[in-house]
Amino acid sequence: MSRETMADETTTPPAETDLRNVSVAGRPDGGFTVKVCAGTACVFSGSLAVYDAFVQEVEAAGLGDKVEVSIIGCHGLCSMSPVVVLGDDTLYGHLRPQDVGKVVEEHLKGGSPVERFLYKDETTGERIRDWHDIGFYKAQTRIALRDVGVVDPESIEDYLARGGYEAARMALSEKSPEWIIEHVTDSGIRGRGGAGFPTGVKWKFAAQSKSDVKYLICNADEGDPGAFMDCSILEGDPHAVIEGMVIGSYAIGAHEGYVYVRAEYPLAVKRLTQAVADAEARGFLGKDVFGTGWDFELHLKLGAGAFVCGEETALIASIEGKRGMPRTRPPYPAVSGLWGKPTNINNVETYANVPWIIANGAEAYAAYGIDTCRGTKAFSLAGKVVNGGLAEVPMGSTLRHVIFDVGGGIKDGKQFKAVQLGGPSGGCVPASLLDTPVDYESLAATGAIVGSGGMVVVDEDTCMVDLARFFLDFTQKESCGKCVPCRLGTKRMLEVLDRIIEGDGREGDIELLEELGHYIIEGSLCALGGTAPNPVLTTIKYFRSEYEAHIREKRCPAGKCKALITYTIDPEACTGCTLCAKKCPTQCITGEKKQPHAIDVANCIKCDTCRQVCRFDAVKVRSGIEQTVSGAAETVEDQ
Amino acid sequence: MLGMFKAMRTTLKHLPMKKITVQYPEQRERLPERSRGLFRVVIDPADGEPRCRACTLCESNCPVQVIRVNYTSKYRLPVPNAARIGEARLAAQSGVDLKDLQPVLDEYYEHGTSLIGMLQDAQDVYGYLPRLAIQEISLQTGISLSQIYGVSTFYNQFRLSPVGEHIIDVCHGTACHVAGAVQITEALEEELGVAEGKTTSDMKFTLSSVACMGACSQAPVMRIGDKTFGGITPDKTRKIIRDLMDEVGGQKG
Repeated sequence: MSRETMADETTTPPAETDLRNVSVAGRPDGGFTVKVCAGTACVFSGSLAVYDAFVQEVEAAGLGDKVEVSIIGCHGLCSMSPVVVLGDDTLYGHLRPQDVGKVVEEHLKGGSPVERFLYKDETTGERIRDWHDIGFYKAQTRIALRDVGVVDPESIEDYLARGGYEAARMALSEKSPEWIIEHVTDSGIRGRGGAGFPTGVKWKFAAQSKSDVKYLICNADEGDPGAFMDCSILEGDPHAVIEGMVIGSYAIGAHEGYVYVRAEYPLAVKRLTQAVADAEARGFLGKDVFGTGWDFELHLKLGAGAFVCGEETALIASIEGKRGMPRTRPPYPAVSGLWGKPTNINNVETYANVPWIIANGAEAYAAYGIDTCRGTKAFSLAGKVVNGGLAEVPMGSTLRHVIFDVGGGIKDGKQFKAVQLGGPSGGCVPASLLDTPVDYESLAATGAIVGSGGMVVVDEDTCMVDLARFFLDFTQKESCGKCVPCRLGTKRMLEVLDRIIEGDGREGDIELLEELGHYIIEGSLCALGGTAPNPVLTTIKYFRSEYEAHIREKRCPAGKCKALITYTIDPEACTGCTLCAKKCPTQCITGEKKQPHAIDVANCIKCDTCRQVCRFDAVKVRSGIEQTVSGAAETVEDQ
Repeated sequence: MLGMFKAMRTTLKHLPMKKITVQYPEQRERLPERSRGLFRVVIDPADGEPRCRACTLCESNCPVQVIRVNYTSKYRLPVPNAARIGEARLAAQSGVDLKDLQPVLDEYYEHGTSLIGMLQDAQDVYGYLPRLAIQEISLQTGISLSQIYGVSTFYNQFRLSPVGEHIIDVCHGTACHVAGAVQITEALEEELGVAEGKTTSDMKFTLSSVACMGACSQAPVMRIGDKTFGGITPDKTRKIIRDLMDEVGGQKG
């Protein structure tokens, strides 16, 4: 069985004449719906078990014919996962399978919502029933994510009922390719994969290239750690991407397309496979699309796990079955791409926007955003924010708006320290620049990038040197090895960072990092090397004092770098419950029952277990190195 | 007037000096040690055949794409018979049955699967890429061994050694890193007695890490087979893995 012959066999039933008349199968009119979120985060927290529980409980309660239980793609508010939406508006979070019975009993039968599973506003403490009223959703404008979390991703009928494939049918049967390209250009949409190249211009280049064969590729190789928008779109609304690709194929004149999707997203692959098969069965893909005589075949290609394959020329090499190494441009893929033929590559989110632009008009899209950047951008908000999840805001909104209005601020009442944008290619933006608008140019001025849209918020407990090292370690491992500045330069930078973290930093190391970073950016062949030093350079720019504390004072201000911290027990707070001593993997915590305990620093491996298990907050992390036995024992002996 | 004299002075000054220009090709300069020169395929004086085996690695590595390798199967590196016999013995020991590979190759002949697709399929069959299977693919498709090796070591997905029954994937994405994924891996290393990326000697568990699973709001997360765990701590992780070891009877180390 092959992984790449999904769209080869084309069975073409007659295309639907009026798509709106397609009945939504299995949903009784006037019935009540229970939608269980099955995005990755919710599946991780057990939403499929919750779904099964709902099916069982609803059946057991005799409501089988009135209530329909279905799954949806990512609803957005991942920090509440698993999320379940009852009816049109009630959102429950943190549901466990054993809680389902209560919800069915009280809400579905009794008609009153179960308070304790509703969203709780952190500031007012109020429970909010209607998810439309939650700040997280109110502060968003959803275009690319319009149907994510609304439709059942495994049902093409659901998508059709929402007016799906209308835009593609209209474009293919009534409009010319030039009209589409002009429309996309007028909308002002720019590539959502990170580089921000105007999509209309890209399509125009590909359309102008003369060739018998052209290809259309969707880049779904979302390798940035901390980004999951493309994943959520593919999982939640795969048909929007397919529809966008059908329109794109007609505009540039390609009869064959590929979706290059990460194999690490098994759920997205499964749903996309099914969506392609469903679309083919209805004649929306394959031969004679919508009965217009247009042919477009779509294949799936599974990535084999290489970050550099997000770069377009490397992605093309990978589809050809080679090592995914980038090559010099020009020639650009629009002239010579896959198998040497003109190829157009866009990101998942870009394609998801296209049907909306065609259906609602370029002006409607251009009404959002600012002069240089039109429309909206989806971000995946993660890290230490109250409301983590999928967020889409108009271009030009400030970072403050995204983090505090959508994200609801910082968890556990801690201080905002920085936001990491754009993953390993991006940078960290400090609190002083929170009012920076989110658009390609403004963010580039801070040293960060919009990138694919990963936004990881960190609080005071995160060490910036360690974070920079984390990203550099990633890019260093993922460097394809083709050109020297990236292959060796990142390795040398990593060595310098390693010694800083180990407490062996030297004077001049910061300058050395800056110099190396500069040369790597100048000398690298592709964007991976050209952006790899960004996390280090931006953290040096905005958090230089932290680097200096590591090098000169041999301490880690955030208390993260193991070689530069000491664990101690506060004798005042310790109740002698012995829990930490029991959990300590090296038995270096000693003390009598009900007496304050102490940590033997010489044997402590700084695994952090004691601090996590302590219920009285008695285990403290001191920034700096101490050699003696610290904590209560000394104090007790002294007395 | 003054300018003309200045120019004449310079000319006269340089007249008796040694000339720096060389009359190529009559005179030949000794090139510096690292001069690039031109590419040429070396012909083996022993048999008059080119030494190049058309492995195409120079083609894929050249930063400016000036090399194109066009080859005929005549110059493919043959697998020596002695090596094949050795491999057959190895195969008998390792339990790799090449019959299982046939559907993968059939698929290649029918649909022209790309090399990556073929290796993915082969890995689905064996759980890893046995040396024998790689050789068989090379023999049957004419893709050089070095090219297959190049591809299989480039992508993280491919494994060249067998893996344990249960693969433990710890997510090391940004959100998970910030939430303490390193401690999770350390706890697992200690409980399993193996380093990250390694397999326990009883072939029960393989500890691995992935870049990002896209479940950032549940960070840190871990996946064991089909089971997923979110919001774990080192302590919870130890409990999960101990329970699993009790269940399947795995040994530490």
